[in-house]
Amino acid sequence: MTSTAAARPTSPRRFAELQRLAGLIQIAALRSLKVRYRGSAVGILWSFSNPLLMTLMYTVVFGTAFLQYFDHSIVRYLVYVFVGLSVVTFFLNATSEALLTVVTNGALLNKIALPPAVFPLASVAANLFQQLCTMFPVVFIISIVVTHDPVHVLLVPVVLAGFALLTTGFALALAALYVFFRDISYIWGVGSFMLWMTSPLFYPAQVAPERVRVWFHFNPVGIELSALREVALGTGPLDWGLVGTAALTGIVACFLGGAIFAQTRRGFMDLL
Amino acid sequence: MQPAISLSGVTLVRRTQEELHYDLKRSVMNALRFRARKVKRATVITGLDVTIEHGEKVGVIGPNGSGKSTLLKLIAGVLQPTRGSVAVEGSLSPLIEIGVGFEPELTLVDNILFYGVLLGHDEAVVRAHVDSILDFAELTEIREQPTKTLSSGMSARLGFAIATEFRPDILLLDEVLAVGDERFRRKCAARIERFWDAHSTIVLVSHDLSYVVRTCDRVIWLDCGRVRFDGGPVLAVQSYLDTVPTSVDIRSGADLIALAASAPSPIVVRGSSKADDEITIFLVRNGYRWRIAPDGEYRRIAVIWENVLVVSDSVIEQVPEGDVII
Repeated sequence: MTSTAAARPTSPRRFAELQRLAGLIQIAALRSLKVRYRGSAVGILWSFSNPLLMTLMYTVVFGTAFLQYFDHSIVRYLVYVFVGLSVVTFFLNATSEALLTVVTNGALLNKIALPPAVFPLASVAANLFQQLCTMFPVVFIISIVVTHDPVHVLLVPVVLAGFALLTTGFALALAALYVFFRDISYIWGVGSFMLWMTSPLFYPAQVAPERVRVWFHFNPVGIELSALREVALGTGPLDWGLVGTAALTGIVACFLGGAIFAQTRRGFMDLL
Repeated sequence: MQPAISLSGVTLVRRTQEELHYDLKRSVMNALRFRARKVKRATVITGLDVTIEHGEKVGVIGPNGSGKSTLLKLIAGVLQPTRGSVAVEGSLSPLIEIGVGFEPELTLVDNILFYGVLLGHDEAVVRAHVDSILDFAELTEIREQPTKTLSSGMSARLGFAIATEFRPDILLLDEVLAVGDERFRRKCAARIERFWDAHSTIVLVSHDLSYVVRTCDRVIWLDCGRVRFDGGPVLAVQSYLDTVPTSVDIRSGADLIALAASAPSPIVVRGSSKADDEITIFLVRNGYRWRIAPDGEYRRIAVIWENVLVVSDSVIEQVPEGDVII
C-alpha cells in the first residue's frame, strides 16, 4: 500500500525506497550517458579532449610565467593543471547539468510519482561515471608516479569522494532553487566562473595576493582542489588537516544541499 | 479488504499560475524595497472524501478548472494533499494523457525501457514487453529511431501503449480518447474495454459525456474542487448538463461541422433548418438515441448517448426546443 501524508515509513520500507531510488538513478544516469554518446562507440574518450586541450592551452600561455613555482619543470605544471581540471570540469559539468533537471523532467514528474531528487543525482552519477572511466584513473596513476607513497595513493579516492559529495550538494541545491528562480542558470554561470577563477587551478596559490588567498580557505572547490593536489602530487609530509577539511567540506555541502532540496521539495509541483 | 482508492478530507492548496514567472533578481529587488511579494495561493480541492472500491469504474466530470485532473494527480501520488490523506492499494498506471515526456534524443526502445523502469518494473520485465508495446503502437519499423522523429500522434500512441501494457490494477485516464487518429482511437478504446472486463479499477476524466455514461458505473461531478454529485452516471450527466446552458443556432451543415469539431460536450440543438451538406444527426429523445436518416425517419439505435457525428446528407426537421442532444 502506498500512502501519502500518512504514518512515517518504517525502516524496511525506508530501505525499499532507497533501493528504488538507486535503481531510478541508475537508469536515469544511463539515459543521459546514452544521449551524450549516442552513435559513437568511442564517445566517452571524447571527454578527454576537453581537459587535455585546456591543459595544453594553459601550459602554452601561462607555463613559462609560472615555471619558477614548479622547479622549472613544465611537466610539473602540466600535471598540476591536469589534476585540477579533472575535478573542476567534473564539478562544473555536473552542477550546470543538474541545475536544469528537475524542471526539464517536469512532464514526467507530473505523470508518475517519482522522487524528484533522482534527476539531479543522476546527472552527478553520469558525470562521475564518465570521469571514473577517463580522468580519475589518470589522476590515480599520476599519484603513484609522483608520490611513490601508498598512503597518498589510497587517499586519492577518498578526496575524490569528498569532491563528489560537494558536487552532489551543489547539484541538489541548484536544481531545487532553479524550480523557483529561473534566472539561477545565468547566476550560476557567473558564480561558477568565480569559483573557477578563485580556485588555484591554473596558477599556483602563492601568486594570488594575500587578501585573496584568505578566500581560498572558504571556497569549497578550492579546498577540495588543494586536498587533491596534496594527496596526488604532494611529496612532503601529508597535511592531514587539509585532507580532513576537504572530507568534512564535502559531507557538509552534501548535507546542506540535501536539506535545501528536502525543504523546498513540496513546492516543486506547483511550478512544474 | 482495503478500498482501491480512498481520499479522506483531502484539501489541496497550490500556488497560482501567475507566480510562474518568478526570478531571483526580482525577489531580491523586492526584498530590498521591503516589498516582499506574498505568494498567491488558491484552494484547488476542498475537503474531498471519496472511496473507490476495487473494480469500480468511475467517471469524473465537470467544467474546466474544476479539479478533475488534479484529482487524478492526487491519486497518482504526483501531488501531495495539503491536508487529509490519500491511500491507494495496488499498482497504478501513469496518468495517461497527451504529452508524455519522452527523451527526444533516445531511440524508441530506450525510451520504453526508461519509462517502464520509472513505472517500477524490472528492466528485464520491460525488455520482454518492448516488442508487444511497439506492435500495439504500430511503430515497430522505426524502433531504433530517435523519439524526436515521432509525430505528436505517434508519441501519444507510444505513451498509451506503454502505460497500458503492464496491466496496472488501477488505471487513471485523462481524456485518453482524444489520442491519435480515429482508427487508433478505436484500438485504444478496445484495449481499455479489456481493462473494463478484467476487474481493474478505473478512474476516467472526460468531457465526452456519452462515453462516460456508456462505460462508467459511477460518476463524480466536480465543481470548484468540491463533489457536486456522486452516483449513477445518467443522473449525474443530466444534472451536470442542466447547469450548462449551451444553445447554438445551426443554419447550415457547415455550422454543424464546425460545431462538431469544437464541441467538448453534448450540445442542445434548439432547432435547425434544411442542411445543405452531408449530415447525419443523432437525436437523443426519451432516453434513446435516434438517427435522422436521409429520408427524415427516426431510427432507433442501441447506444443511448453519443457525441456529434457527421456522416451523410439529411434533412433535419424542426425539433422542439431543448429536446435534442447531439
